[in-house]
Amino acid sequence: MADEYSDQEVCNLENGEANKGSGKEIWNVKTPQTMSSSMLRKKSDPMLVSNVRFNILRQFLANLQEVILGTKLAVLFPAIPLAVVADFYKFGRPWIFALSLLGLTPLAERVSFLTEQIAYFTGPTVGGLLNATCGNATELIIALLALYQNKINVLKYSLLGSILSNLLLVLGTSLLCGGLANLKKEQRYDRKQADVNSLLLLLGLLCHMLPLMFRYSAPPGTFTANSTLQLSRASSIVMLVAYISYIVFQLKTHRQLFESQEEDEEEEEEEEKAVIGFWSAFSWLVGMTAIIALLSEYVVGTIEAASDSWGISVSFISIILLPIVGNAAEHAGSIIFAFKNKLDISLGVALGSASQISMFVVPLCVITAWIMGVSMDLDFSLLETGSLAFTIIITAFTLQDGTSHYMKGVILFLCYIAIAACFFVHKIPQSESTNNLGAKPSIRFMAA
Amino acid sequence: MNSYLYSINLTLISTHKEKITTFSFVITEFLLIVIAIQVWFRTTMASQEQWLLENGNLKGLSKENRHGRTAHNMSSSSLRKKSDLTLVSKVPCNFLRQLLANLQEVFLGTKLSVLFPAIPLAIIAHCYGFGRPWVFGLSLLGLTPLAERVSFLTEQIAYYTGPTVGGLLNATCGNATELIIAIFALAEHKIDVVKYSLLGSILSNLLLVLGTSLFCGGIANLKKEQKYDRRQADVNTLLLLLALLCHMLPLLFRYAGASAALTADPTLQLSRAASIVMLIAYLVYIIFQLWTHRQLFEAEEDSEVDDDVRAEEVPVIGFWSGFAWLVGMTAVIALLSEYVVGTIEDASESWGISVSFISIILLPIVGNAAEHAGAVIFAFKNKLDITLGVALGSATQIALFVVPLCVVVAWMMGIKMDLNFNLLETGALALSIIATAFTLQDGSSHYLKGLVLLLCYIVIAACFFVSQRPLGPANLVNFGIQSS
Repeated sequence: MADEYSDQEVCNLENGEANKGSGKEIWNVKTPQTMSSSMLRKKSDPMLVSNVRFNILRQFLANLQEVILGTKLAVLFPAIPLAVVADFYKFGRPWIFALSLLGLTPLAERVSFLTEQIAYFTGPTVGGLLNATCGNATELIIALLALYQNKINVLKYSLLGSILSNLLLVLGTSLLCGGLANLKKEQRYDRKQADVNSLLLLLGLLCHMLPLMFRYSAPPGTFTANSTLQLSRASSIVMLVAYISYIVFQLKTHRQLFESQEEDEEEEEEEEKAVIGFWSAFSWLVGMTAIIALLSEYVVGTIEAASDSWGISVSFISIILLPIVGNAAEHAGSIIFAFKNKLDISLGVALGSASQISMFVVPLCVITAWIMGVSMDLDFSLLETGSLAFTIIITAFTLQDGTSHYMKGVILFLCYIAIAACFFVHKIPQSESTNNLGAKPSIRFMAA
Repeated sequence: MNSYLYSINLTLISTHKEKITTFSFVITEFLLIVIAIQVWFRTTMASQEQWLLENGNLKGLSKENRHGRTAHNMSSSSLRKKSDLTLVSKVPCNFLRQLLANLQEVFLGTKLSVLFPAIPLAIIAHCYGFGRPWVFGLSLLGLTPLAERVSFLTEQIAYYTGPTVGGLLNATCGNATELIIAIFALAEHKIDVVKYSLLGSILSNLLLVLGTSLFCGGIANLKKEQKYDRRQADVNTLLLLLALLCHMLPLLFRYAGASAALTADPTLQLSRAASIVMLIAYLVYIIFQLWTHRQLFEAEEDSEVDDDVRAEEVPVIGFWSGFAWLVGMTAVIALLSEYVVGTIEDASESWGISVSFISIILLPIVGNAAEHAGAVIFAFKNKLDITLGVALGSATQIALFVVPLCVVVAWMMGIKMDLNFNLLETGALALSIIATAFTLQDGSSHYLKGLVLLLCYIVIAACFFVSQRPLGPANLVNFGIQSS
């Protein structure tokens, strides 16, 4: 693998091609997600460890320090053992919920870090793929656990909320902060990347709206659940095909559209090498994923109890709170890059994450449900699908001209506040059948 | 002219529809006016060309010579073959030779002519009472080459009538198949088939034709940048949004109203008014496209020596023979369309797929096959302006001309057809127009755009495939896969 890259570099140098490509080859996969998360890293201080005598112990401690303490979010790590303790000693279930949520935040960030380290060893394509998949590991694991416990609505709403959060909250605050910090400068970004993502999101929207309209337009009294289910499953396969071609497009044929902007500062140069070995990174990744699974199980299990105890609806918790937690690391990174007027990276994070969830996680859940024999379809009910439609359209309009200012960010952020308020007051009754938490199409609506 | 009138009336009277007879008179009057205008134009065009030569306006002159070289013409021309005249020159009698050359040019001049035998087979199947699904299938197959031949004949006639009328003729006859199927379905009171087939035609043009063209063009031109003039796409998008508004208002009106009985009449009046508005918009679009802003819509210059294009500057058949062939082919299209519309339910029951799927997906694929192939070929050659002209232009024609024309014709016939295409269809249409508008708004293309549009079409097709609405609820149980 190393020979390949040095040859390519030489070739580039010979051709006098002073393009971004030559430097990028060494860095393997510098997608926007990895670059944004890297803002939250601290340089590990080896001084402390070099005092320890034994070599293996020293290596082990260095490893530990790199992984556990290598992020500014490490202050939240004590929440994890506290959450486990709370579960064993039967503290209030809302406490378990809150502590698990807090514990998930640094874990999500660490998983992203470990994936980036592994990507140094596996090469750009597989690394990109790994990054794309694990970038939303938290959402994926929460979704699969909710599916397993047959809480289909929690699943649908948390995924929907993740898309809304990426498109409105993350993007809005990034554009807002970036706009305020760069009032005098012109803020530009490459709109081709935004266009591709908007198009994929529109395809996702179509796949959500068709089952919904199908259900509403059926004559009253007909049983449409089977048809909707088949349609949803077919649409999921279509969405996965679209996602795979998007990955091919992004990593192979049209790479140049997605190259992150050049980094001039010193600190980025130092991360050219992996800081921990492949197998140690891999084992850490497995371990952290297991802990994420554990905490997610607590979250999904205690969500109703927390909702009852705090007096807010399950839909609000699923759509608003859970995604904020899951996206916290990317959110912070995106804002920081917007401050530095590197909007391509901010957009890459926010839009890329939304596309991933819409085109990969959601259909994957439908197909997993199909395999498990659970009836999950793509019908996310009128209110949620309507918010999603409006969000995608307004984001596509906002990003279509290639420049940005703080007003755009303000509008997107206020849209998110409005949607959050809507779900805050929307108290869905806690019904027995988990399949039908959404509003039924009212029969008088159909009488026309 | 008299014989034409007589034959049309004969076909129509046999179905006992007096109101179609009235409509046929309208059509023949329209054609008479068209012929009169072209004669007038021939005289004025000659003088205009002289004036242009004197002013040294070379560019305008070369474009004038191209007559009706719209995107449609150029795309269909890729399906033509050069006719081999050596075979015919051996025939001794001069008149017979001309007739055979004519026949060869018209019948064998396309790669789709392999499907021509389906026409007599369909007629035989109908007369001898073969299975009705067979009649349906054979008629569909027979319509494909006919549609392409009508487009060819229109182009030939356009050489004689001048660019403006030629463009008009082209625009109208480009969607002759859809128009005729729609009018026949209207006459048999199958309003749903009309609505769904026209809607399916718009969807097919916007998503299927455009999607496959952009996809194939993107794959074939991976290394090159693919650009097109976005102003043409913008105009078409704007017109489609107007059409969408005119569809959504009756739909929302019905849902916002108290009950079906109270809102039916106002919805009908609203639809009729909206149809007149859409026809006005289409008229203005024709003026915009063919007169004031021609330069936006000129087909791209062919810099390479393209044999197919250069050789066709001279019409290959005479005006009156072209006209006669056009009338004949239109009559055959009418006949096959009657079969299609009459046997659609039987085919649907026999094949086990819903009427809405056949109307929305199958019929438009057949009607658009020739344009589809042409659009893909031009995308391969990286001439995206022509591809967009074909796909978007066709969609605009149907949305703003054929649909309102059907509403107006239904008004004259006393049939209650409105613009309310029901929630699922209108929603699919809205999303298609929005997705296409976003795709085309930046002036460049790559294969992922085409793939996403194509996947949108597949999802919509899947939706109508599982939709068993027109049939009873009993069919749903048989159709569904039991989830464990």
